[in-house]
Amino acid sequence: MRRRDFVRSVLAVGAAPRLLLSQQAATPAAPPPAPVPWLLGLTEKTPIPQVEAADQVAAAQLRFFTPRQMATMTRLSDVLMPPMGEKPGAVQAQTPQFLDFLIGDSPDMRKQVYREGLDWLDAEAKKKFNVEFAKLSDVEADALLKPWLRTWMNDHPPEEKHADFINIAHDDIRTATVNSKAWFAAPQVGAEPRTEEELYWSPIEPDISPEKADCASVPPHVQAVPKADHPMPSYPR
Amino acid sequence: MLNETYDVLIIGSGHAGGMAAKILSEYGIRCLMLNAGPVADVAHDAEKKPAFEVPYRGFRPPGRIDHVFQSNGFNANVWVDEREVPYTFEENQPYNWVRVRLFGGRSLFWSRQSFRLSDYEFKAKSHDGFGEDWPISHADLAPYYSRVEGIFRVTGAMDGPPQLPNGNFILDDAPWTSALRRFIDVAKPRGIPVCKQRSAQGRDGLASSVNLLLPDAEKTGKLTSIANAVVREITVDKNTGIPNGCNFVDRLTHREMSVKARVVVLAAGTLESTRLLLNSNLANSSGLVGRYLMDQVYGPGVLASVPEARRNANLNAVMGSSSIVPRFRNIDKKSDKFLRGYALNTTAATGAVAARNFAAYGVELQRKMDEYYGSGFHMTVMGEVLGRYENHVRIDKDRKDAWGIPVLHVDTKYTDNEFNMAKDAVETACELADAAGFEVLSKNDKPNPPGYSIHEVGTCRMGNDPKKSVLNKFSQSHDHKNLFVVDGAQFTSAGWQNPTMTILSLSMRASEYLAGEMLRQNI
Repeated sequence: MRRRDFVRSVLAVGAAPRLLLSQQAATPAAPPPAPVPWLLGLTEKTPIPQVEAADQVAAAQLRFFTPRQMATMTRLSDVLMPPMGEKPGAVQAQTPQFLDFLIGDSPDMRKQVYREGLDWLDAEAKKKFNVEFAKLSDVEADALLKPWLRTWMNDHPPEEKHADFINIAHDDIRTATVNSKAWFAAPQVGAEPRTEEELYWSPIEPDISPEKADCASVPPHVQAVPKADHPMPSYPR
Repeated sequence: MLNETYDVLIIGSGHAGGMAAKILSEYGIRCLMLNAGPVADVAHDAEKKPAFEVPYRGFRPPGRIDHVFQSNGFNANVWVDEREVPYTFEENQPYNWVRVRLFGGRSLFWSRQSFRLSDYEFKAKSHDGFGEDWPISHADLAPYYSRVEGIFRVTGAMDGPPQLPNGNFILDDAPWTSALRRFIDVAKPRGIPVCKQRSAQGRDGLASSVNLLLPDAEKTGKLTSIANAVVREITVDKNTGIPNGCNFVDRLTHREMSVKARVVVLAAGTLESTRLLLNSNLANSSGLVGRYLMDQVYGPGVLASVPEARRNANLNAVMGSSSIVPRFRNIDKKSDKFLRGYALNTTAATGAVAARNFAAYGVELQRKMDEYYGSGFHMTVMGEVLGRYENHVRIDKDRKDAWGIPVLHVDTKYTDNEFNMAKDAVETACELADAAGFEVLSKNDKPNPPGYSIHEVGTCRMGNDPKKSVLNKFSQSHDHKNLFVVDGAQFTSAGWQNPTMTILSLSMRASEYLAGEMLRQNI
């Protein structure tokens, strides 16, 4: 069917009942415009649904650290950033779970620092206290960690083996905790660090082209089918 | 309008392109501006949010912009994605190429430090024998600097020594705070000048091409602009070999387009302008397109604490000023460790001192941070990188970007000159802090990877000799008189200064020269 014929028949179907109605009712309601414009009515007055960040509600699946590493990571987070005053500690802020995700997505070098660092820490605990790191007391953990803490400038964490992991992890644990909703929601006292609040830029007209390198393997949604194999009527586009 | 030949094609919309558009269109010259990315509208594209509502809790999204140390989870989407427009380098020679393709480019996000180069830079070879002199001096550029400083509303004091020429400033006559006075008192006897910081105020909190330059050009009715136009190559007339426009590809649809123009002005940013020339095989009779890549050493610095600022109820009398210590090495006497020199940015900050400045954790750390709050005295280094032939970029024939355009390979590294300079800077900053009675909390003398400063310059250097330079003293190609490069690519030496004022002034000067030549029908 040619497009124009199709349009004409749609109009005819719409017109028939209207003709009948006009014979029965004196003041018929105006028919809705057909076809109904999909987006008519979406305006600045449309209410915006309220949503939560997923990790405020759902448990994250752990993918990167081994269970043993996760236990070490959790104890390390608790020691380095315990709850203070009304502020949550790293564990309450779900920081170990978040870092499992962040580090698991990161370049190999960063993954390696964490994997080796956590394994080393556990081995040190075994060597010095004959118990895994996750079971160390605060005093024991302090004896193990304190000698490795350094002062350093932005972008230049210590390069010395072990000190690199301890200081990088300390920084990441602090940032992830301070930037959590739990920290934000707790009352602020004095010079306690504040959750970062900044202008967030959404993707600005992102490139949607299928030729883009990282989506080149995805087939286009609509594929042309050879005519001979496809008996359905086609229409000019 | 289709198939119209424009007077001037301007590629790039940042400070360099915006200035060219303003000057040329005000002369009545019809300009077409192409920009590779979209228009950013802060009202639609940005919203203030807490970190837990943005991806990755405010951390930089891994894998997309790993070489943009300035990026974080909030601004991640304004930078060029390294997967979309890759570049390559040898593994042991990383390069941080920091790019913005939004309309207005990096002029939307710069730090606004506004310095002139002096004749210690323009005539550096005459002073110390290394490299080449620029074909112009401070006197040639001074009138343009003054006009640019007026447009950008630069604040500063008329306190510069010869290596920091004074300008057309909104005068900063605020008294120094006491921390800065202490710093000045120990610097002066050592022959180290301390000047008021110089900063572009712009208008309404922004000092960008999009609010200070492009509106003037649009007012003339002579400027046409296209967004999302990724230029593939500059085209040349088949018979004469003269540049006559360009081919570009629409960023979103990949539709291939062409435009014609009598003159081509490159303002795509140092390395994109150079990439375009190399991909177009143009303007390179000297063989120097891509050579002498420079920037500035950033990363080294010292953070000290001002004792009397701690727990001080009258903090604003002690802290809050910032100063620029212009280069002081190799001015009157020669250093045996390195050529040229560095500047120090010093800021007496009133906010928190970051946790990494204390070797402590937990309760003990918080106690330290409470005590040191508002006492941070930051000294950061900006060091000149020498222009060396071997530090260069070339086309990587094996890699293409999302539009099939061959990418850049960056082959550059710092040498002992830069490393020694960084060491000296940190030693000197520590000495000054100690002498002033400040407590040094942390220091670093290792430079960040080249490129980090976002002050990449050179690769199409200007000069009088066509065999030793790509452009002449008017930013015009030695090979084609209707081809100009008006961004940082034209620098002959880098200096220690933030290059923005110089880029703007050079673009203004080149554009006025070009307008004159076009009106006299020489081009």
